[in-house]
This record gives sequence, structure tokens and C-alpha cells, in this order.
Amino acid sequence: MAPSVPAGDTHGDPGLQPERTSLAWGRTMLALVTASALFLRWLPHHGLPILLLFAVSAGAALAIYLTQRRRYGAKSHGVSREHVDADITAVIWTAFTGIALGVLGIGVVLAG
Amino acid sequence: MTNSQQAPGDAAPPSRGKIAERLLPGGEEPDPRFTLANERTFLAWIRTSLALLAGGIAIEAFTSDLFLEPVRKGLAIVLLLLGMLLSAGAALRWLRVERSMRNKAPLPLPLIVPLLAGAGAVAAAVVLVFVLWR
Repeated sequence: MAPSVPAGDTHGDPGLQPERTSLAWGRTMLALVTASALFLRWLPHHGLPILLLFAVSAGAALAIYLTQRRRYGAKSHGVSREHVDADITAVIWTAFTGIALGVLGIGVVLAG
Repeated sequence: MTNSQQAPGDAAPPSRGKIAERLLPGGEEPDPRFTLANERTFLAWIRTSLALLAGGIAIEAFTSDLFLEPVRKGLAIVLLLLGMLLSAGAALRWLRVERSMRNKAPLPLPLIVPLLAGAGAVAAAVVLVFVLWR
């Protein structure tokens, strides 16, 4: 990497890894928004419990949205100093969201 | 916000946090690009899992005049279970890949690939049999 790049200000990575990772989180956020819209769409069929699924997926989408800036900053800074901390908390929370949606969904299907 | 402070020197490695030190012990920090690539792969699996979860709820709501109730509920639960397993499996795979990279070991085979392929094939076969015989 060119030594003239100041650490943290620009990452200087021609592969644009921080951008691609932020966009992947953005796509995941959009998938969660789409899922929450679909859950709302089926409110008349499944009844009020489906609001729980809506709340979980919309809440997760909002959490990603609110942390995008900080996330990009951390990754850009990390690539420029050649050290990125694996974002283990984000991975755990995102996986937990999928598991919670599955558990709630099975509950809604069995109860309906 | 300025990010102009220099990274700390190699003398004192910064604390990585309790969870990271417990779940990702030892080894060396991998190339940050690989860590980011691992995260993007995890997210791609999560989006696949979300599609299955939304599909499970959709089957139950949309196909009430197409399938008998047990078939409908069964398929919905299979999809929801698969989505759940994929979410958990994606996190597990992320962890195993991250550990392998820290220890410069070969990457593990993805167990969620045969899981997704197998369950998808079984679900398709069940629907096919049902559609042919009804």
C-alpha cells in the first residue's frame, strides 16, 4: 500500500473491501425490510402474532441501518492499518435474528 | 469525526474484547480482506435464510386452497426449520473459517451446502409427489 495514504482517512484498497462489506450489510438490511413487509402483508391471514416477526425483522433492519456509518468507518480504518477485528457481536446478533424468526414462525404456523 | 490517530504499535496488542478472545482464541490476525470476505459470505447465507423464512410463512398463507392442511403446514415448517438451521449454520461456519484463518489452517468444508441442497431437494420431491397424486 502506498505509504502516502494517511491511516484511517482513506483506506487505499483497490479491491474496495470496506465498500463491498458495507453494501453486503445494506443488502441484508433490505432483505430484512422486505421480509418485514411480507410479514405485515400476511397479518390478515395469521393474525396478531405475526406482528412479533415483523418487530424482530424490522428491528434488526433498523439496527443495521443505525450502525452502517460506524461499521464502514471501522472497516475502512482497519484495512488501512492492516488489522480488522472480526465483528463477532454483529454475526451473533444477525444469526440470532434468523433463529428467532424461525422459532416465532413455527409457533405462528402451528397455532394458526 | 477525525480518524487521524495512528494505529498503536506492535508492542502492546489491543484487547479484542471478551467474546472475541473466548470464541476466537490464539493464532494471528488474518489479512483484514479475508476477514471482510468471510463476513460477506456469512451475510449471503443470512439472506438465503431470510428468503426461506419469508417463504415458509408465505406457503402457509398463500396455498390454503392448493394443499391439504398437513402438507401445507409440513412444508411451511420444513422451510422455517431450514431457514433457522441456515442462520445458525452460517454463524458457525463464519466462526470456523475465522478460526482456520487465524491458525493458517485449511478452510473447513461448508456443511450448510449439503444441508441446503438436501433439504431443498426433499421439499421439491414432496411437492412433486403431492402435485402428481392429488
